[in-house]
Amino acid sequence: MSTADTGPGSSVMTMPAAPRRRTLPAWAIFLIGVVAVVGVLATTSYLTGKPALTSSLTMQNTVTLGVPILLAGLGGIWAERSGMINIGLEGMMVLGTWGAAWGGLHGGPWVAVLSGALFGALGGLLHAIATVTFGVNHIVSGVAINLLGMGVTKYLAVLIFEPLSQNPRDSPPIEQFETFSAQPLGDWLTDLENEQRVVISDVAGLLGGLVTRVSPMLIITILLVVGTYLVLWRSRFGLRLRSCGENPVAAESLGVNVYFHKYVAVVMSGALAGIGGAALVLGSSPSIYSEGQTANRGFIGLAAMIFGNWTPGGTLAGATLFGYADGLRLSAGPETVHALLYAAVISAGLLVIWQLWRRKWRTAMLAAVGAVVVYALYYASDELPTQFLPYTPHIITLVVLALAAQRLRPPAANGVPYRRGEGD
Amino acid sequence: MRFKRGVAVTAIALTSVLSVVGCAKDSASSNNSSGGQNGAAGCQTVDKPPAASGQASTSEVATDVDASSLKVGLAFDIGGRGDASFNDSAAAGLDEAIAQLGVKKENTKELTATDQESEDSKQTRLRQLAREGHNPVISVGFAYSEATKVIAGEFPNTQFAVVDGFVEGAPENVTFLGFAEHEGSFLVGVIAALESESCTIGFVGGVNVPLIQKFQAGFEQGVKAVAPDATVNSRYITEAGDLTGFTDAPKGQVTAKGLIDQGADVVYHAAGASGKGVFAAAHEAGIKAIGVDSDQYNQPTVAEYKDVIISSMLKRVDVAVFDYIAAVAAGDLANLPQVFDLKVNGIGYSTSGDMLSDETVDWVEAYKQQIINGEITVSDTPTTS
Repeated sequence: MSTADTGPGSSVMTMPAAPRRRTLPAWAIFLIGVVAVVGVLATTSYLTGKPALTSSLTMQNTVTLGVPILLAGLGGIWAERSGMINIGLEGMMVLGTWGAAWGGLHGGPWVAVLSGALFGALGGLLHAIATVTFGVNHIVSGVAINLLGMGVTKYLAVLIFEPLSQNPRDSPPIEQFETFSAQPLGDWLTDLENEQRVVISDVAGLLGGLVTRVSPMLIITILLVVGTYLVLWRSRFGLRLRSCGENPVAAESLGVNVYFHKYVAVVMSGALAGIGGAALVLGSSPSIYSEGQTANRGFIGLAAMIFGNWTPGGTLAGATLFGYADGLRLSAGPETVHALLYAAVISAGLLVIWQLWRRKWRTAMLAAVGAVVVYALYYASDELPTQFLPYTPHIITLVVLALAAQRLRPPAANGVPYRRGEGD
Repeated sequence: MRFKRGVAVTAIALTSVLSVVGCAKDSASSNNSSGGQNGAAGCQTVDKPPAASGQASTSEVATDVDASSLKVGLAFDIGGRGDASFNDSAAAGLDEAIAQLGVKKENTKELTATDQESEDSKQTRLRQLAREGHNPVISVGFAYSEATKVIAGEFPNTQFAVVDGFVEGAPENVTFLGFAEHEGSFLVGVIAALESESCTIGFVGGVNVPLIQKFQAGFEQGVKAVAPDATVNSRYITEAGDLTGFTDAPKGQVTAKGLIDQGADVVYHAAGASGKGVFAAAHEAGIKAIGVDSDQYNQPTVAEYKDVIISSMLKRVDVAVFDYIAAVAAGDLANLPQVFDLKVNGIGYSTSGDMLSDETVDWVEAYKQQIINGEITVSDTPTTS
């Protein structure tokens, strides 16, 4: 999981006091991280005899469950990079689900995505008006939007959907995206996967899950991840937006319109959360708005964002982790999640080697102790207590936060109230 | 020199990691066979039980009473009349009472709960109904249990009932209308065992709480009664405390897909709205599914997938509400069944869509009679784990 602390953004915010040796660009580190994770999973799958760890079904589940979380996390990045805490992502996502179902009823899946984005953006606009213009505490406003999002959609669902579906909690089904598969690549990968050859079959399974029955929603999401990175880190506008999150007073003194940038960021944040809602609607079968269907995914998105150190690449890793762990637990069962303990042992072992190589004796010692403890746990038990299973990704996030606390860095002025002309 | 030492230490560490890597448990790698016996002929079943004998006794509550003087108050759970589920079923019971017992429609009042409301607003709703002179006051859903206990203490002369509720130490004038969900689940378990070709059957529970474990327990017992070698894989979407397991259709679908991947060809769910995802997964894979609570074959939201819903376990909330109103009108609550079970027709199964063969229905009816006669006792807690 070395991708967690080295997203594309970390290169820009280097402290002048401690210039780090940078031998590799961020994309290379990301690639190495992916290879390492796949390698560890493939080894675990081979040694514990659990093919589900790297099957194409698992990968498909990861995508299904991860995409809405990732979109909410991206929304979080936009808001927080401009210094606005957005705990209202959940509410904006709920608005997005309603908007998507409503738009989808009238014009098909593409309209559903746009309409979901629009409704989410409305929630974001409300948050921006409250927090940027009127200086309301970000948390208070966010909580209010979460409540409002649920209330408004409930009202609208009774008003608009109930006459059509005879059910106040559901909308009628909308048209889904056509999915498509990259053939003959998909078939070839399936054959490879079924041969159960070491490593090759694992890679084929994971890749196969990515290229078969792809929904355009996945493509949209990947484009949004790349787009977020390009806009926020490779454009003048993005630099100004991020400067509002680091030091708005300094940005103001250099002529940046802080209010404008914060408004754009929070509205964009709402729109992304709304697209997340649309992804949820279009990703479920039947594709309907259904009361309570977001099930805290907005909050999980925030957690994925923090896991990813406020960067798109890291958030992608975080959302994948949540999607993977949930998908694995639900579809492959508790015994397979138990095998993840073994993956943790291998990861800790690799960490020990790396730290020894860097001559960080103490960290290496800690990692070694950790590896032994986890191995003992793995050996002593056959199954993890089911009560813990749903929280596997949360626990991993906590561990990452604890280990990488020095590296994690939220925007400096995140959540700090800003009034034009009142800085000192 | 230091560099060399680092290399040496690293090499040692590498060897030790590699040796640990070779130490995965053998037990783990041996049990990766999945799919059960894939005999296309279906499960090895026990001998068919004798055909249903003895009459299915219905409710002992008198239905020829005059309830025209009753003012009935009905407090719904979230969703209210028209939710195509629980509340609607309760409303149907009231409508039946209006039609058959002479309850006057203008003497009834219905109030509906809102999402995430406080305990206080539930109490206020019940107090309002009681103060306006409604007697009995019927509330729908477990969430009303505590509020009813409090309000029933304030109005000792009013009769209260809670559908699906239970709480310790409730006053005399509170009746809990509980159901024997495990008995109904047993019957659909029988259906699942007879309909399965691969002899592997799946169960998807919404939230891992005792109420849903009742479904699992009855279902597993029902399957095993017919086919002792059958495998039942049971999964829960969330653990106790996280109620989103009842509303998360995508996770329901992922869970069902996993069970199907492991060989299940009949899946039963007790997962509320997440069950839509279970039907979707069954439809996609071309296998059979069993619904829960109401006759899901006729539910508009899952109409797209109704060709896979071979049956549903029915919880007859309407029967319970109707019987309760009749019992209040007759003034003998003592005769009301303790639990609405198969014997009083409070639980059942549906055959909508005609996807069950007569043979299967014979089996199920035979087992139903055995449960009613007390020859089979259905456990309400799962045996495994």
